[in-house]
Amino acid sequence: MKNRTDRVKSFMQYLTLFIGAAIMFLPFFWMINSSFKTEKELLSFQSFFPKQLLIDNFRQAWEMGDFPRYFGNSVFVTVVCVALTMFVTILAAYGFSKLKFPGRDLIFTVLVSMMMIPYEMLMLTNYETIRHMHLFGKIWSLIVPFTSSIFYTYILRNFFLSVPDSLYQSARIDGASDWQYLWEIMVPMAKPSLVTIALLDAITCWNSFMWTMLMSSGNRNIRTLPFGLTAFTSEAGVHYNLWMAGATIVVIPMIVLFLFCRKSIITGVSRGGLKG
Amino acid sequence: MEVRIEDLVKRFDDVIAVNKVNATFESGKLIALLGPSGCGKSTMLNMLSGIMPVTEGKIYFDDRDVTMLSPDKREVGLVFQNYALYPHMSVLENICFPLKIKRVPKAERIEKAKEYARMVHIDDYLDRLPKELSGGQQQRVAIARALVKQPKLLLLDEPLSNLDAKLRVEMREEIRRIQRESGVTTVFVTHDQEEATSISDYIMLMKLGVKQQFAKTRNLYNDPANLFVADFIGNPTINQLHGIYEKGNFRPDAYENAIPIGRYQIEDGSRVVFASRPESVIVEKKNGKTVMEVEETYVSGKDTLCVLKAGDGRLRAYVDNDSAPQEKDLVSVSFRDRGVFVFNEESGERYYE
Repeated sequence: MKNRTDRVKSFMQYLTLFIGAAIMFLPFFWMINSSFKTEKELLSFQSFFPKQLLIDNFRQAWEMGDFPRYFGNSVFVTVVCVALTMFVTILAAYGFSKLKFPGRDLIFTVLVSMMMIPYEMLMLTNYETIRHMHLFGKIWSLIVPFTSSIFYTYILRNFFLSVPDSLYQSARIDGASDWQYLWEIMVPMAKPSLVTIALLDAITCWNSFMWTMLMSSGNRNIRTLPFGLTAFTSEAGVHYNLWMAGATIVVIPMIVLFLFCRKSIITGVSRGGLKG
Repeated sequence: MEVRIEDLVKRFDDVIAVNKVNATFESGKLIALLGPSGCGKSTMLNMLSGIMPVTEGKIYFDDRDVTMLSPDKREVGLVFQNYALYPHMSVLENICFPLKIKRVPKAERIEKAKEYARMVHIDDYLDRLPKELSGGQQQRVAIARALVKQPKLLLLDEPLSNLDAKLRVEMREEIRRIQRESGVTTVFVTHDQEEATSISDYIMLMKLGVKQQFAKTRNLYNDPANLFVADFIGNPTINQLHGIYEKGNFRPDAYENAIPIGRYQIEDGSRVVFASRPESVIVEKKNGKTVMEVEETYVSGKDTLCVLKAGDGRLRAYVDNDSAPQEKDLVSVSFRDRGVFVFNEESGERYYE
């Protein structure tokens, strides 16, 4: 009897999870499925699946919408942004967790409380700053405001705090400097957290829309994929199959990145502290 | 390398953790810093390693003043109580790390790390991560890592406290062996007198930051400097009777008979503590001397430990199994010359004949 109730319970659990997964997955499936259809197929609802996989939509969208440039911009902005953010985050987290200086915790508290300021409010000040730096309309304007993150610093700082001080003392006695200790011991230990942070940051950078729109209003050459896609939808006219192909191009790199880092993300998210 | 400390003081706010300690640790010896918790022994070790700044006083390694030197420049190896292995590195990488920092070429440092891994008998586990090792194995790795850079001084902080009882005995012999093989001056901290007496050449016994006695291990037992040392070293603990010294005799408070103890430089009528090791108490058939009743007996190996009672006084004595009295027997008690000490009751200072 027990066995049977267990099985029913487990079935229900899987069913719930399946429904949830299906709801999450369906829009993506719809997008990818549609991107392979001809326009006629798409509008007439004759068949659920495309009769043949039409690669032509991708080629057309790629060429029509200046996607190569957007793609290049997106990759550049994302890579540089993530690299700089990681560097700044690691140094800041180390400083706020392991170095001793007056007002350390107060400064950090102030920084954390600044997370409550809505992003839209910062846009105006950031805009002014960028203009004064004479970066408006240049690709660096998409990078400079996003090279540090209090949230990531907070996550990493918590991890660093869980590392026992005896490791630091041990490394010092082994002859390592503070700098060497950070890069040889702390950073490799924090790898799962760092991968998670890098991925979250990559997704944020890749999808950044509002700011890109604002900055690229003066120069269409610095458009990145998300804004490029929106522009494309208005510039290309109503061709749903092409829109879907464009959207697929935007999403796929992030999906691939996620699949590569899946294992690290799970450890990074689930790890509570440091053992052993 | 010889280590010399002069008037070493460590103050935390208004607490004095180490108070004016002087000592010289002879080169190549194994020295134990012993004492109850809070006696300042770990603080001493941390000051020797350079982790903790010194408040006052000087530390010399041979003739070099290292008092202000940072830990990475002192050429010391330290084994932490929790071993502090780098969790993301394999055993081999852990042992290699100090050499990597020194920029020793890769092939050379791997060879050297393997040599030390063999010495501590951990060479079968080179690819394992620390979490895949037992406590004893982790400790071996920690010792190898401390030794691989060939330090002039090896420091061990409560090295055995995280191990179970059987492993503890095994590892303390291992520490002895490794110390002998490497010939490095070694200082280790412990609160366990048996651990200290079983493997060290010298013991420094501390209490509340003050050095009580620093001597060869056997002298600490045979020739304690004060009552605290006599009480701390030895298991079962030394017998203590309180009373008055009078003309070569000791008059205990607990019972009537006086004990002849010989001439000491003590004023008649002074209050003293008469202390005797259990093996220095002679138990005989009842005769004219002090008579006591056998309260309890415990057989341990070839000896029997008898608890003797007279009035409120208790004495523990080791007797050969063959001649051991029965419980409730009345026996006579006298004392050997060795293992018998007289201390000032108030200060605990020892009186000499």
